[in-house]
Amino acid sequence: MAHINPEKFTVTDFAVREHRSLWGDAWRRLISSNTARLGMFIVVLFVFSATYSHYFWEYEPKKDLDYSLKLKAPNLVVTEEIPSIHPFGTDKLGRDIFRRVVHGGWNSLRVGIVAVSISLFFGGVVGLLTGFYETVTMTTIERIVLFGISGFLLGMLSAWISNQIIQLIAFTILGLAAGYFDNFLAGKWLRAGFFGLIGALGSAIPALFVGPSIAFICGTLGLMSGVLLSMALDGRFFSNVMMRIMDMILSFPGYLLAIAIVAFLGPGLGKGMIAIGVVGIPVYARLTRSAVLSVVHKEYILAAQSVGESHGRIIFRHITPNILSPIIVQTTMGLANAILSAAALGFLGLGAIPPEPEWGAMLGDSYRYLTSGAWWAVLYPGLAIMLSVLGFNLLGDGLRDALDPKLRT
Amino acid sequence: MTPLLEIKNLKTRFYTQDGVVRAVNDVSYTMDSGEILGVVGESGCGKSVHALSMMQLIPYPPGKITNGEVWLDGQDLLTLSEEEMQKVRGRDIAMIFQDPMTSLNPVYTVGFQIVEALLLHNDMTKKEAKYRAGELLELVGIPGAKDRLDDYPHQFSGGMRQRAMIAMGLSCEPKLLIADEPTTALDVTIQAQIIDLVKKLQDELGMSIMWITHDLGVVAELAHTINVMYAGSIIETGKIRNIYKNTKHPYTIGLLGSLPRLDDAPGTELVSIPGLPPDLLALPEGCPFAARCEYRIEQCLVEKPPLVEIDGKDHAVACWRWEEIAGIRSK
Repeated sequence: MAHINPEKFTVTDFAVREHRSLWGDAWRRLISSNTARLGMFIVVLFVFSATYSHYFWEYEPKKDLDYSLKLKAPNLVVTEEIPSIHPFGTDKLGRDIFRRVVHGGWNSLRVGIVAVSISLFFGGVVGLLTGFYETVTMTTIERIVLFGISGFLLGMLSAWISNQIIQLIAFTILGLAAGYFDNFLAGKWLRAGFFGLIGALGSAIPALFVGPSIAFICGTLGLMSGVLLSMALDGRFFSNVMMRIMDMILSFPGYLLAIAIVAFLGPGLGKGMIAIGVVGIPVYARLTRSAVLSVVHKEYILAAQSVGESHGRIIFRHITPNILSPIIVQTTMGLANAILSAAALGFLGLGAIPPEPEWGAMLGDSYRYLTSGAWWAVLYPGLAIMLSVLGFNLLGDGLRDALDPKLRT
Repeated sequence: MTPLLEIKNLKTRFYTQDGVVRAVNDVSYTMDSGEILGVVGESGCGKSVHALSMMQLIPYPPGKITNGEVWLDGQDLLTLSEEEMQKVRGRDIAMIFQDPMTSLNPVYTVGFQIVEALLLHNDMTKKEAKYRAGELLELVGIPGAKDRLDDYPHQFSGGMRQRAMIAMGLSCEPKLLIADEPTTALDVTIQAQIIDLVKKLQDELGMSIMWITHDLGVVAELAHTINVMYAGSIIETGKIRNIYKNTKHPYTIGLLGSLPRLDDAPGTELVSIPGLPPDLLALPEGCPFAARCEYRIEQCLVEKPPLVEIDGKDHAVACWRWEEIAGIRSK
């Protein structure tokens, strides 16, 4: 537009204000709140002590036992009887509780971060995709990918019943095809019949190797999936498949599902992380989805579409930053929750494998000695759990106040 | 000369739980390049939906374009896939929205958003784009444009945001700019400024503009041609002179009559059209305006009048009795 002459338009001078960023404002609000500062202090202390002890304070749990120092009360001076200082006392194997509490922090931190990352990543992706494609016309590639995923998920039941991996492949191909041939066989019933037949055959034939009755069940499932996939040409179908799966996960009591997953995978801290993470997925999926739905019809999303931006860019550059605040808050609170869940699993003997120090496991090991007066063996790990959870919750509350868009004009 | 835009029998439906909302019913018209077209009608008459349908931006589901062709420069937009549409949007058609408060993304600077639009369809570097964005903001009359590129939308006033939106719409020099009630959310002095700006830009850049509004006063100053829409159909269309001076359709007559005038004696009551627009869920068989029309006859209730050309080329009306009504009114 070289022919435009900007001089035709008058420019008046005026005061240019200082540029202030949204996050800067939120940060100022956050540190102006006492409770948020307290939460932040606890969290920083917790993260620092956990990381520091892990990297700079060696501890070998397997070698740490001394029967001569069983269940000694906290002492701050060396006596003849107790030759070492134990500020939090010792446990039933004569281990220093202070040391174990501090080192246990590393495990709690790891569980929190890994479990929340799992929930956040999968839940976030599910939420973003289902929320966005609910009412947006998909491109061919998007349709193929999303329908492929739907097919894969629909096939999981069949694959599980017939114990054949090939079922998953068959269902995925069915989904991909339904997405690709969106104009194929225009008649509704013709299309449904075609895809239903393909689905039934693709599912029943591999299952025949297992047995006729299994083949029948899988064939029926394949037929239903094929018909479903053929009828759905929009994102609402994908979003329904995903959200019903989320509902299924959500319908289990959280701890029960976590225990079931750990029982299935076997005990251990890593498996506990996966279990807690999986249980949390629907929470993040629903939160993200609802947040996406609340911004997807805002005019700036329509405006972004109207200048020709691609869906990927709209989802990640325009929607994601706008829904970040509730997710940040939930993530912070979720860390507290994950630490608590890990402690619960540990208490039941399903988390960390002894002698690995872990707060919940320490409680589980020591509560029996409470009646014989060893309060310190229970108090300090319990306090550690409580304080870390409290810290993350206070910080989460503070973040919610700081990021709440309703306070913003 | 072939028109820039030709819409044929556009039909848009919303499939809701309560039934099918017939939002756009058989809309057909043409638009020349360099023309300013005003699309007028009350809220819910399908003005915005028909524009969004052209850009294929209606939410699907529940919305769906069930019929029609939208030819822009020899290309039927409705046959394009979503991938191809993404290239057309912004480059060939751009759109400005009603509420400047919400049409800029609050988490990015104004400059960033214009730069992004520029980079999408133009082959330029970030630096060039930023320079161009500054020029565009200056073009739309934002004082101190270059310094304000790094401002966030909340630091802009409503009028400035709408100017920024216009700059964004202009960024890729579209052939057609759709302005969906761009002045409705602004106060009157700012409205006048925006209208002047658009006029000036149209003079300089020569693009076509579709101006959607419910305000007959605004388009009177601006448009060359006017489409009056009612309940999803065009009921009268023509050159601006014909619409204002030689009004034929009883609805348009009512609309013009309901405008408050400066020379009305104090205490004069405003004229209004009795009744409400029909429910788009259950459109009557005949003329959609029949229920509110003082001139209706039996035929109006059973048969929908087609849009017929009258007085030569530049005026068309969808009314069975337009000739008689003209006679009745002149008495």
